[in-house]
Amino acid sequence: MKHTMTRRDLLKLFSAAGLGPVLASRVVADESEHKTKKIPEIQPIPVENLPRYPAFIRDGKVIQPERPLAVFQETDVLVVGGGAAGWAAAVSAARAGAKTMIVERYGCFGGLWTGGIVLVVISTHATENGQMTQVVRGVGGELLDRHAKFDHAIVNRGETKFNPTTDPEATMFLMDEMIRESGAKTLFHCWATDVIMDGGAVRGVVFESKAGRQAILAKVVVDTTGDGDIFAAAGAEHEQRLHAIGLVHRLGNVDRADHAKLKAAGYKSLGAIEPQPSVRWVNLRGPSSNGLDINVLTRLQFEHRRAIWERVQKMSKTPGGEPLFLLQTAPQIGVRTTRLLAGTHQLTYKESREPRKFPDVVAVGGAQNGKHAGWPIPYGVLLPKKLDGLLTAGRSFCMDDKLVEDGRLIGSCLTTGHAAGAAAAVAVKDGCRLRDVSIPKLQKLLREQGAYLG
Amino acid sequence: MTTGENGRHKRLRLAARWLALAAGAALVLPWWTVRVPLASFSPFVALCSALATHAVGLIVLLGVPAFVLALMMPRWFCRFACPVGFMQELLGGLRPHAKTRWLRWPFFGRWFLLLTLGGALVGYPIFLWLDPLAIFSGFFSAWRQPLTIASVCAGLALPVALLFDFLLPKAWCMRVCPLGAMQELMVVSRRLIRPRMRCETGGGGAEPHPHHSMILARRSFLAACIGVTGAVAARKVRGGPPLLRPPGALDEERFTGVCVRCGDCTRVCPTRILKPDLGEHGLAGLLAPVAKFDDGYCKEDCNRCGQVCPSGAIERLPLAEKRRRVIGPAKVDLETCLLANGQDCTACIRACPYEALKVLSDGFDTRPELILARCTGCGACETACPVRPHRAIRVVPKPGVLPA
Ligand SMILES: Cc1cc2nc3c(=O)[nH]c(=O)nc-3n(C[C@H](O)[C@H](O)[C@H](O)COP(=O)(O)OP(=O)(O)OC[C@H]3O[C@@H](n4cnc5c(N)ncnc54)[C@H](O)[C@@H]3O)c2cc1C
Ligand code: SF4
Ligand code: SF4
Ligand code: SF4
Repeated sequence: MKHTMTRRDLLKLFSAAGLGPVLASRVVADESEHKTKKIPEIQPIPVENLPRYPAFIRDGKVIQPERPLAVFQETDVLVVGGGAAGWAAAVSAARAGAKTMIVERYGCFGGLWTGGIVLVVISTHATENGQMTQVVRGVGGELLDRHAKFDHAIVNRGETKFNPTTDPEATMFLMDEMIRESGAKTLFHCWATDVIMDGGAVRGVVFESKAGRQAILAKVVVDTTGDGDIFAAAGAEHEQRLHAIGLVHRLGNVDRADHAKLKAAGYKSLGAIEPQPSVRWVNLRGPSSNGLDINVLTRLQFEHRRAIWERVQKMSKTPGGEPLFLLQTAPQIGVRTTRLLAGTHQLTYKESREPRKFPDVVAVGGAQNGKHAGWPIPYGVLLPKKLDGLLTAGRSFCMDDKLVEDGRLIGSCLTTGHAAGAAAAVAVKDGCRLRDVSIPKLQKLLREQGAYLG
Repeated sequence: MTTGENGRHKRLRLAARWLALAAGAALVLPWWTVRVPLASFSPFVALCSALATHAVGLIVLLGVPAFVLALMMPRWFCRFACPVGFMQELLGGLRPHAKTRWLRWPFFGRWFLLLTLGGALVGYPIFLWLDPLAIFSGFFSAWRQPLTIASVCAGLALPVALLFDFLLPKAWCMRVCPLGAMQELMVVSRRLIRPRMRCETGGGGAEPHPHHSMILARRSFLAACIGVTGAVAARKVRGGPPLLRPPGALDEERFTGVCVRCGDCTRVCPTRILKPDLGEHGLAGLLAPVAKFDDGYCKEDCNRCGQVCPSGAIERLPLAEKRRRVIGPAKVDLETCLLANGQDCTACIRACPYEALKVLSDGFDTRPELILARCTGCGACETACPVRPHRAIRVVPKPGVLPA
């Protein structure tokens, strides 16, 4: 205990000198502290005396004072957002040898896939050269494979199967494992709010957390916030969309309900299957709305939760539906599309439906049922038109409205994320700009990491 | 006709025949898509389809030169142009001593011709498909289809005609082919009007005397009457449910009659959705084109099938007009539709080139909704739908025209 005190005291000293966060991270990571029985569960520690810079009002305006920011860490590749895309980017970059860090505002990886309870990974396959082929390979494919080791972790996976559904707990656990193994460093519960600019290039982000506002410096930033928070903050050209915003929920005890009776009463579907017995996830499309408007998000969160509650109540009072109960509403609201990067290439629905090849292909999108042809995804969709130092991936890459419905699926998020992580690692290694990355090198690395490029 | 032919003449004729065969083949070979229908050079097809469709289109006009020539020069088409006849002749060279047992046969070709003309008057030219140019096209069009029973059947008419002639030399031309019979009748009718011109005799087989011509006229009338009755009966029998036909196709009853089965539409269709009907829908429509949307749809920027149809079975429509022709409206099966059952599928909605589908969302009830006034039945939605084995959205045959 005494030892700890000393370290904390030291920390205070260092933090005044701007070095604190670096050490703080080590303290946080030191698990042995939790395990030492000697430490009482509740005990007093000294109040952290961080320098404060509160906003103030001048001439009726709220002013944020100028202030130095503590640099929490410097890294090669910084991934912001730990959804399917960001997670894949971090694993890929770290495996390629780049010093990698990933920042996530919530406490788990997977984003909408796990936190949004959108459990079916659609478009894992496509028919290539007359044969049904898995296109979601590489780190994403490995993640799906590893589910197979556990009971009740995945369904519809195997030789002739496609579009598997996973158990969110298994997925989150495996994502944690693979990030840890890759050596990428994670920061949960940190919300990136701004960028650090150096000329025309992004050099890191500013983030908020319980530990206050701090900075992370990086050679390359990958924006996988889904909403393009980072490229928007950096002033990169982009477009914005309204899309349906819903909220997924899960029903319990589904196997005990009388489906025929419920159907007769007008409940067409009890939701989509899950790996666990008797549990189903139910989609809700919701109204077309602006996912960046906090009033809208708040209102929809209220309305959807109420609608779900009332529906399940009604169902459980319907003959045949008595055993049903509401297991959970998704922790994350279902925002489908908001910002789309204006990349050096806008991939269109038309392009995706024609036989087409791109010399800078970095991923292949799948077909919803695996029966149609795959669609090659060029590097240009990840790369901003002018801004340097940043790539995007996942549901915000550069595509037209119609392709959004394919591009935002979990499969494409995993593969574009993988591509962005690999590209970032190549740029760091070669000391070049992201737009100058050697495509053959990038493709070689992706292939080495198991990705499918057609 | 053999008397005046010296060696030079013979060589010239041979050259003309090779040329015609090559030109014919150039129009129908499966490696490219020429948009001039070969069969429309046949005056038989031209006349019957003009009668059946009550229209004289560009395609019908293509048959006029051959028609006029036939009036002046008996059987010129058979002698100089017909690719089927030429191929038969070439094959016949392989067995020179065949007997002409068929000389006592009746003139079937004439009956075919007259029945077809009579049928054409009421919109159902029964034996139009016996036209040699149609048969020739049909053979080559079949190549472009994947090898199936249907494609083999569709291409079978030419080999059958060749085999027939091989076993019974000249029997096809002289006794079966309605185009040959037509040329002969034209000479006869000319003689009826100007009997003095009888010095020019008809081709090899038939050389009718003037009183024969009277008999012939009576028979023709009879045959035409039978043709009309037969066609009406055939249409009555036909009458089944409509099928998915190419855009701008005549109404189902007339379509199966007017279509010459040349397969030109199946050959030029860029998405290869037009397939010969293998009798799945009754005999009347055998080998006529049906649309299948499994692997492709009717393109919004295409009107080729109408352009190449020699008989007018598919109307020759400008693109803007074709885009308003309805093959049938799309229909969603809410039982199997993924969107209606809680998945984020919008494949059909995005695929529709006419923006005839939209997401209808009302709380937990979400599904694709059709805007009937926009749907052409192009099948793009059906092609895109991921549900198997039966797509959750399918075009229901019900032809019509969209409001302007
Ligand atoms: C209701 C609904 C149903 C769907 N159905 C399906 C389906 O059936 N099958 C399918 O394949 N796909 C489906 N999708 C689409 C798919 O789930 C998502 O598009 C996909 O998971 C997005 O992955 P992502 O990594 O790009 O973004 P996200 O999953 O949104 O991940 C972004 C991550 O970044 C974090 N983040 C955001 N901003 C910040 C910030 N400023 N700082 C730090 N962290 C931040 C978030 O917390 C999140 O973890 C559905 C989507 C919705 C909404
Ligand atoms: S119009 Fe349609 S059916 Fe006709 S050829 Fe073109 S694509 Fe094929
Ligand atoms: S709804 Fe289907 S059939 Fe109708 S126009 Fe659209 S894609 Fe074609
Ligand atoms: S494509 Fe098929 S499954 Fe998807 S929404 Fe349309 S009808 Fe439903």
